[in-house]
Amino acid sequence: MWQQVEQSLQSSMGRVMNRMATLLPGVLAFVVAFLLFLLVGWLLSLLVKWILTAVKFDERMSRGASAIAEWSPRSTPSLLIARIVFWCFVIAGVVVGVSAFEAGTSEHIISGWILGYVPRVIGAAILLLAGNVLARFVSRSVLITGVNLNLSYARLLSMGVRWMILVLTGAMVLDHLALGGAIVELGFGILFGGIVFALSLAVGLGSRDLVSRSLEREAARPVEIPQPEKIHHF
Amino acid sequence: MAGLEITEETKQQAERIGTADVVVGIAGAVSGEDARVRAARVIEELGSGLSGLRFVFTWPGAAPEAGDAAENSSLTVAPLAPPAPAGEFWTAVSAHQRAVLALAESLNARACIVLGSDLAALDPHVIQLLVYAILDRQCGLVMPVYPAAKYEGLINSGILCPLSRTLYGRRVRYPLAFDFAASGALCGSLARTMAAPDNSGGSLLWPVTVAATQFPQVPVGQVHVEVRHEVATGGLELSAVLGQIAGSLFYEMEHCAAHWQRIRGSQATPIWGNAADGQQDGQPIDAQPMLDSFLLGSKNLDEVWRLVLPPNTLLELRRLTRMTPEQFRMPDELWASIVFDFALAYRLRTISRVHLLGALTPLYLGWVASYVREVSTLSSGAAEQRLEQFSRAWEDKKPYLLQRWRWPDRFNP
Repeated sequence: MWQQVEQSLQSSMGRVMNRMATLLPGVLAFVVAFLLFLLVGWLLSLLVKWILTAVKFDERMSRGASAIAEWSPRSTPSLLIARIVFWCFVIAGVVVGVSAFEAGTSEHIISGWILGYVPRVIGAAILLLAGNVLARFVSRSVLITGVNLNLSYARLLSMGVRWMILVLTGAMVLDHLALGGAIVELGFGILFGGIVFALSLAVGLGSRDLVSRSLEREAARPVEIPQPEKIHHF
Repeated sequence: MAGLEITEETKQQAERIGTADVVVGIAGAVSGEDARVRAARVIEELGSGLSGLRFVFTWPGAAPEAGDAAENSSLTVAPLAPPAPAGEFWTAVSAHQRAVLALAESLNARACIVLGSDLAALDPHVIQLLVYAILDRQCGLVMPVYPAAKYEGLINSGILCPLSRTLYGRRVRYPLAFDFAASGALCGSLARTMAAPDNSGGSLLWPVTVAATQFPQVPVGQVHVEVRHEVATGGLELSAVLGQIAGSLFYEMEHCAAHWQRIRGSQATPIWGNAADGQQDGQPIDAQPMLDSFLLGSKNLDEVWRLVLPPNTLLELRRLTRMTPEQFRMPDELWASIVFDFALAYRLRTISRVHLLGALTPLYLGWVASYVREVSTLSSGAAEQRLEQFSRAWEDKKPYLLQRWRWPDRFNP
């Protein structure tokens, strides 16, 4: 009996070793393809940045549309384009590496799935990036405007706006990736609807007395003669 | 740079008029009848004093008189096509000023006088002074000096005047004015100054900058004018106006860096005319609302200011927030370095320019609170002396600006 156990263990170990030996060329092909594309991407991004700097691309962009500079002020347009080129080559390297891996193993299931899913990942990454940039820009705008309007709750308002945009972005990204399915939609709907409903109740019910007191004060207040401004900034 | 477009009708009228010695233009929408009456009074009162000179008046929508009226009238009027709608208040004013200067250039005028649309400066004495400074004293540019009023024009007193003086070395009290005069040589250059491409700078006209950078040898003068312009402030938000004006000045600073970096100190500009009595001091002003705005800004905008200001400036600001209202005083050097740092951040686009200029407002109100407290017991004349001392502090701080401008990454005091 022990001989049978020993034989079956040896045969399973043999199959595992064979499988590993079959996979190793594929893994090696993946690593080589990925590193090659990484190197090419890095060189090309340097070349693109050099060309764009030589043709004064940043100056031309700053004279024309300023949307990029306003939304992402620290990264110059040429730097952004160079980074996009680099990461495109990294993604291409992963896809080619997976294809090389499957060519070595004679299985094409993974590459088919990845190639079908890559556009969704790219779309989701773009959505995430855009959502983060938008959240940062809008929250900062609300904060600065609120402070200039002397609103003591400017920071709270800014944080609320930022989180609302981030939650919306997160829901859109998950939906785009087809993760979670109906749970994400339902969850987001409940969360967002709940927030809006809570705010409506708070403002509507909570300020009912405040509004009526305010109206009474307005009606009882004597007519004020407007005082001329003493300080003129301009 | 593209030249300002003049309409065909204006070109034809300019050809009919021929040349002019002095063009007097109103930079803004104005009642034609009022302008005509006042212009006629100016001609009548100037009379023999400037009889050798041919005056041409112009304002948006002006129509020359026809037939007998034209022959009998001593008033020559040239039409001025109103420029395309330019949006905000100061941008519209600058667009009209450029239109007047362009017309003066097309008429080969020896002098061009640009006046505010409220017609307060359309006065024989003012016109005479400006003409004297341009034609007799050979100044290329003449800026006004309005009557001293310690609580008026605070953006000019706190930022525009000291910054313009520090950068371009000309001691001009009002570098952004409704009224000024330019010689024929400068008219074309002033009319062709380009607008800033983005919305954060506007397209304001800075005559002193153009004179200092393009015509450094041409003298700049000032004249005392007893004129008070009532700016309709209803609907104008401080942060929007401050952003527009400061943004435009920072934009000019960025594009004229090669010029102002070579200038050291400042030259006094000759002043003509009699200084008018300063405004009577009324009741002291409560600085608490401005101080509250500054404190609110320091509590909420620290994350934004940290991206723009160096650590020692932030430390100074924190020290200010701990002061009592009676002790609150913003040192001149601190305010100067704050404005320099914001100008540098504008150039480097450290954060969005719109956000940057919005974040300047609470700091500006902090300076105003400090200034108001300091001059509350001073007369208007003494306040002017204080502002002179304030401007000198900015000049002394220029080396800091130069170092930060040239090595923004390496230099961090």
